[in-house]
Amino acid sequence: MEPDYLPEYCSRPTLVLGCGNILLGDDGFGPEVIAYLQAHYPAPKDVALVDAGTGVVDILFDIALSDSKPQRLILVDTMESGQPPGTLSLLPLEQIQGKKLRTYSQHHIPTSNLLRELGELSGVEVSALVVEPEEVPQEIQPGLSPVVRQAVPKAGGLIAARFFGGYERPIAQ
Amino acid sequence: MSKKIVIQPVTRLEGHAKVTILLDDAGNVSDTRVHIVELRGFEKFCIGRPVEELPRIVTSICGVCPWSHHLASAKACDVIFGVEPPPAARKLRELANAIAFTEEHILHFYFLAAPDFVMGPTADYSIRNVIGIAQTAPDLARKVIRGRHMGAKMLEILSGKSIHPVAAVPGGFSKALTPEERDRMLPMAEEVLELAKFSIAFAKKDIFPKYIDVVKTLGVIKTGFLGTVTKDGTLDLYDGVLRMMQADGTYEDFPYDRYTDYIAEHIEPWSYLKFPYMKKAGKLSMDLDNPVGVYRTNTLARMNVCDRIRTPLAQKEFEEFRSNFGRPVQLTLAYHWARLIELLYNAEYALELLKSPDITSKEIRVPVKPRAASAIGCVEAPRGTLIHDYETDAEGMVTNVNLIVGTTHNNAPINMSVRKAAQDNIKGGKYDQGLLNMVEMAIRAYDPCLSCSTHELDGRIPVKITLLNPRGEVVATVG
Repeated sequence: MEPDYLPEYCSRPTLVLGCGNILLGDDGFGPEVIAYLQAHYPAPKDVALVDAGTGVVDILFDIALSDSKPQRLILVDTMESGQPPGTLSLLPLEQIQGKKLRTYSQHHIPTSNLLRELGELSGVEVSALVVEPEEVPQEIQPGLSPVVRQAVPKAGGLIAARFFGGYERPIAQ
Repeated sequence: MSKKIVIQPVTRLEGHAKVTILLDDAGNVSDTRVHIVELRGFEKFCIGRPVEELPRIVTSICGVCPWSHHLASAKACDVIFGVEPPPAARKLRELANAIAFTEEHILHFYFLAAPDFVMGPTADYSIRNVIGIAQTAPDLARKVIRGRHMGAKMLEILSGKSIHPVAAVPGGFSKALTPEERDRMLPMAEEVLELAKFSIAFAKKDIFPKYIDVVKTLGVIKTGFLGTVTKDGTLDLYDGVLRMMQADGTYEDFPYDRYTDYIAEHIEPWSYLKFPYMKKAGKLSMDLDNPVGVYRTNTLARMNVCDRIRTPLAQKEFEEFRSNFGRPVQLTLAYHWARLIELLYNAEYALELLKSPDITSKEIRVPVKPRAASAIGCVEAPRGTLIHDYETDAEGMVTNVNLIVGTTHNNAPINMSVRKAAQDNIKGGKYDQGLLNMVEMAIRAYDPCLSCSTHELDGRIPVKITLLNPRGEVVATVG
């Protein structure tokens, strides 16, 4: 039986972390995907869906040093890599390393020692589902661009199909 | 030839910053600038919204200290609606605040500040990071993480969510604590208190004595201080009056709604972030030899301005701290020591609140009605005094918002401490990674949250130093 004190993000075999700031345009993609999943795809008991917002580094610190870790970690985030806006990519750990978000972003995928520790030293299967943003504003301006909003249900369906045990369509619209 | 050294990012800080160090022809430091990126546009975004939405929205400003914004905003809303939350609601808010503080202070001490001391300030960066700590001291890391888990779990139990809280509402708290939940939390709170006791004992025995020379010299400047106390001068992180202390130790107390009589804001052309200063000084000067109007917030400031702490173990540590260093303490690295005293206080206070009989009361909220009003909601955040200043129209819609966050108060002193550390450690053009880390240590002491929402953590190229000539051309890079 798992210890009573473990927070949700350290107590399930699969952890999906939605990263980003909902106040900054397409940067809010990760939390939006978590909200979409919660509304449309009831997660099985072995999956934790966490809206990490801009607090993802704190969570990763705790996971990296914890004896109780998820077996697989999926970061849902925004990443600029020169593809058409709205393009989704599911990247394994080795493709996340070395890449990062725009230089002046309101958060970054933590590509450093923490993910390396999680992936290579602790055996956690780390991947990231990223979307190419159309715009991440410099000032507060909530709301996804239409093209990135269209990618939200696609991303939710992809995660559910791959990590929730084979949903083929949303439970409710 | 004159050179400009740029350190970017400042690693392990909870944010994104750039430090520029300008060298003169002799290779000595002529000036430094800490460029802090601020999340802009929030005030504008709030206007026209129902004020009761703000406690929920403000938690998205900062993933690092969402509870502080949440509570400052809820307090401002209480005043806007002209209500006083029931006693149990206040206790639940204070309990959440105390737990969030313990989580934050544990994180800062062990993961952000301790690597400098445990590994040594001049150690190679590849081991001077959080993973280095875990590999060097696995039992310590395990103990610390257990405490962090318990903090997060207690917040989950208390409020349903630990990351983006929604539990505090205008007029109180939205969720009562059941006796069963209280009983689940008690052993966790006891264990967090044990970790807090261990932490300060560990630091006093194994860390501070070894680096006392660094503590006594690095980034030391002379400033005033700002913090919250109760009317009898007791440290309070949730509510009270503001106390502005001069560098000579004299002070004046004032209510939140008079903050604009005591704090003015200075603008520098090279910085987006404003520089608050003591209004009564008439101006701001960051001259190291003759500073004017500069004050500091955060842990050291709170230890300086208060007369006592309400919990016994923290009070004992506070007395020892004051006996060792006097009042006010100007040593920048003493922020770490003060932070551990606050960790102990919050751990003790959380337990005390949990044990109070009415913590499980169901009377936790009073109804509110919109009206035209203005209000200041203020709390002490882990990084300093946090001010939320709102105005609403008769329908309760927001017409004006002003926020001053902890790190903004410390903008001037951070710049001064960096200049002092740079001047002391970079001479005749000679510098290396260890010396530059000393500059970063001066910043880290303030635990700044540099944009209230950014996170940068890249261990591969932790410090990028670019040397530029006066025409802005890169002449060398290090890192």
